Amino acid sequence: MTFIAHDTLVWLSKSIGLFYLLILSAAVVVYAYWPANRKSFERAAKSIIEGEDRPWG
Amino acid sequence: MFGFHYRLERKTIPFVLAIIGAASIGGFVEIAPLFTIHQTVESAPNMRVYTPLELAGRNIYIREGCYACHSQMIRTLRDDVERYGHYSLAVESKYDHPMLWGSKRTGPDLARIGGKYSDAWHVIHLNNPRDVVPESVMPAYTWLKRTELRTADLRLHLKALREVGVPYTDDMIANAPADAYGQANPGTPLADGVIKRYGETTDVNAFDGSPGNVTEMDALVAYLQILGRLTDVASNGPAAGAAEP
Amino acid sequence: MAQLTRTERQIALALFVGLAVAGLLMVAGGRADPLGLHGALILGVAVFGSFGIISKYYEPLPGADRLREYYDDPSKFGVVAAMVWVAFGLFMGDWVAWLLVNPDLTFDAAWSSFGRIRPVHTTSVIFGFGGNALIATSFYVMQRTSRARLPDQLSPWFVLLGYNLFCILAVTGYMLGITQSREYAEPEWYADIWLVVVWIVYFVTYLRTLARRKEPHIYVSNWYYLAFILVVAMLHIVNNLAVPVSLGHAKSYSLFSGVQDAMTEWWYGHNAVAFFLTSGFLGMMYYFMPKRAGRPIFSYRLSIISFWGITFFYIWVGSHHLHYTALPQWVQTLGMTFSVLLLVPSWASAGNALLTLNGAWHKVRDDATLRFMMIAAVFYGLTTFEGSFMAIRPVNSLSHYTDWTIGHVHAGALGWVAMITFGSIYASVPWLWKRDAMYSARLVEVHFWLALAGTIVYVFAMWNSGIVQGLMWRTYNESGTLTYSFVDSLIAMHPYYIARAVGGLLFLIGALVGCYNMYMTIRAAPQRKRLASTSDMPAAVPAIAPAE
Ligand code: HEC
Repeated sequence: MTFIAHDTLVWLSKSIGLFYLLILSAAVVVYAYWPANRKSFERAAKSIIEGEDRPWG
Repeated sequence: MFGFHYRLERKTIPFVLAIIGAASIGGFVEIAPLFTIHQTVESAPNMRVYTPLELAGRNIYIREGCYACHSQMIRTLRDDVERYGHYSLAVESKYDHPMLWGSKRTGPDLARIGGKYSDAWHVIHLNNPRDVVPESVMPAYTWLKRTELRTADLRLHLKALREVGVPYTDDMIANAPADAYGQANPGTPLADGVIKRYGETTDVNAFDGSPGNVTEMDALVAYLQILGRLTDVASNGPAAGAAEP
Repeated sequence: MAQLTRTERQIALALFVGLAVAGLLMVAGGRADPLGLHGALILGVAVFGSFGIISKYYEPLPGADRLREYYDDPSKFGVVAAMVWVAFGLFMGDWVAWLLVNPDLTFDAAWSSFGRIRPVHTTSVIFGFGGNALIATSFYVMQRTSRARLPDQLSPWFVLLGYNLFCILAVTGYMLGITQSREYAEPEWYADIWLVVVWIVYFVTYLRTLARRKEPHIYVSNWYYLAFILVVAMLHIVNNLAVPVSLGHAKSYSLFSGVQDAMTEWWYGHNAVAFFLTSGFLGMMYYFMPKRAGRPIFSYRLSIISFWGITFFYIWVGSHHLHYTALPQWVQTLGMTFSVLLLVPSWASAGNALLTLNGAWHKVRDDATLRFMMIAAVFYGLTTFEGSFMAIRPVNSLSHYTDWTIGHVHAGALGWVAMITFGSIYASVPWLWKRDAMYSARLVEVHFWLALAGTIVYVFAMWNSGIVQGLMWRTYNESGTLTYSFVDSLIAMHPYYIARAVGGLLFLIGALVGCYNMYMTIRAAPQRKRLASTSDMPAAVPAIAPAE
């Protein structure tokens, strides 16, 4: 891996790493709170409480 | 059937990829730059490799789990440095496959134990630590002295290490078993070979106090005595400096 | 066995024969090496397994109606295996603890020396107990949340039996002196390769079940289990890259050395905590806790956010194990920053769990099983806070290398991992074996209090000893020299080491009580016909009652 200088690699790590993190965090929050997803999440939360006594045919 | 695959591809696979993506980036960011680190880290031109006997000792250290109680990494803290010596430099473990920095000090750090005690002290201590330190909770390693060291396959060990980057020469590999014997038997012709291949400063001693054979005790003590002494950059090199408070 | 189809029986037999050949080759190649002993062990297992298959080969084949039920036999095996491993692992752990009180409480033999049996303890509890519990519950949960049966009968058995073979190779290896010395990844190359095979089958089984799912949404527990499977695979492979001395040697040399090796090992080490000891067990919690409490998870959205938070914050934090070492400082700082950030998703998970119980506190009061889960969530919150705190460089300068770390780990391991697992096992044993309840609710109660008391004693002892130790090591007198020798600090540890060993003993006794209770539940309790109700238990269908 000598073809990239250490400093360059460190710089890349520090800069892209940070942006990647911010973008990913934002994306997750948006996904979780996207209004259209609300119903499916609520249904999912309840889904384990009943109706799972056997595989659905 | 088609429906299953359709659904699998629609959700599960991207999901799996997302997990891999999220989870690998941290490793790349932290680990990848370390492989170019030789560009910034101290160099130690006079550093030597472990002799076959020391290597065998190191493997006993690993086998017995000494690393569970002893670290080999002196931090840059003042009290660490005053207690154990100059803080450890990255280069000092560059031939350590694997490294033995450790994570727990039930016993003291051993990064610079080499030369601190005599061979005889180590032999008594390893045989039963409570003979020299009554309060010690270190296990007694009574079987080391009575177990013959397995040297026949040392060539293969050196060869494997060369494959992962340790600069053993063909000469060193060819003579590995003989060198292991020679280093524990001063005054024999084989001992001269060790000096020739590994340098003037190599310890050649009957480490366990009984020449004529090579025991696991010989190997382990030889290893302990070289710890911190493969190179002297820490004491003389440019990196020698003050520790953090 | 009774549920395996003809082809599956044939494949199983072929696999055992293949395993026997592998064992034979190891015996031949490793005659002069401990590797040969492991070859013999593998050969023995393979022969035993083949006979097992052959003796049952002509038993009646399962009917098609089996497909109307979930396939729970592997989960049952996994639960039992987990309990066996925990009893063994805790016993070894407590033995190791007593060795620090009196180092002569051992045999004058290499296999029983501290440095060899300590990894036996860690591997037995983490991989033996934790791993079996994770695999068993993951099969259970994924079938139910997907409303689909496992894709076949053979692969889950391959995963469980193969995994246990790995664990056995690991612990017997340490006692024979076979170890890589990589903390929490000690097994040597051949065991590591075997685990990769097992893990791939596990992953494929998981995906195949998910692909068969009738419920479109993938329930969040599966996300955690999947992250556990995937990331552990990644970590395991990279961390264990090594060159064996020869194919006839157990010993290998790691590909990396020095500082790169240290970072790789702790990248693995801490993410083993994250994805083995946290992610998978959160998956367990998100299923069994709502189920037992009879209430959906407080906020499903929050569970999604914390999932991704944990997945991408955790992976950075390994370097906090290497503060003030020869690792470049910016990597240390990165590790510290992310460790602190990690508190957000961790507390989101813990809070989510506790809020789920809000409104069901009367159940927590009366039901020790649910209380196990509740306390687990509390310890999870405490431990993650402590962990973030200890990752801060100045704090770490005191805590590192001391017993404080051991205390922290056990707050997590006993308080969080073991408690959530016991809770989930107590919940699932009656469901799996179709009993009304555990044999004795009183004994669950006894186990709970022993476990809690043991954890608290243990953790407080180690906090004290760690802090005392850390402070003694850095105390200076007026003349500016260090006040205490290392042995002084060692003497000061003695009372704490006794307390710790006693705490561990309490925990061990609790687990033994749990084993007894489960044994009685499985063996003695009458199998009652279940009332058709809203409960999730499959009705007992006599024709396909699992062979036991
Ligand atoms: C149970 C933990 C434990 C294990 C395992 C252990 N030690 Fe120790 N060791 C100690 C303790 C505690 C001390 C301090 C008391 C003493 O000197 O005996 C110590 C001290 C030492 C010392 C003296 C250090 C000094 O600076 O005075 C050496 C050398 C040593 N150990 C080597 C080893 C080797 C080699 C092994 C493996 C074969 C090993 N130890 C395994 C706990 C352990």
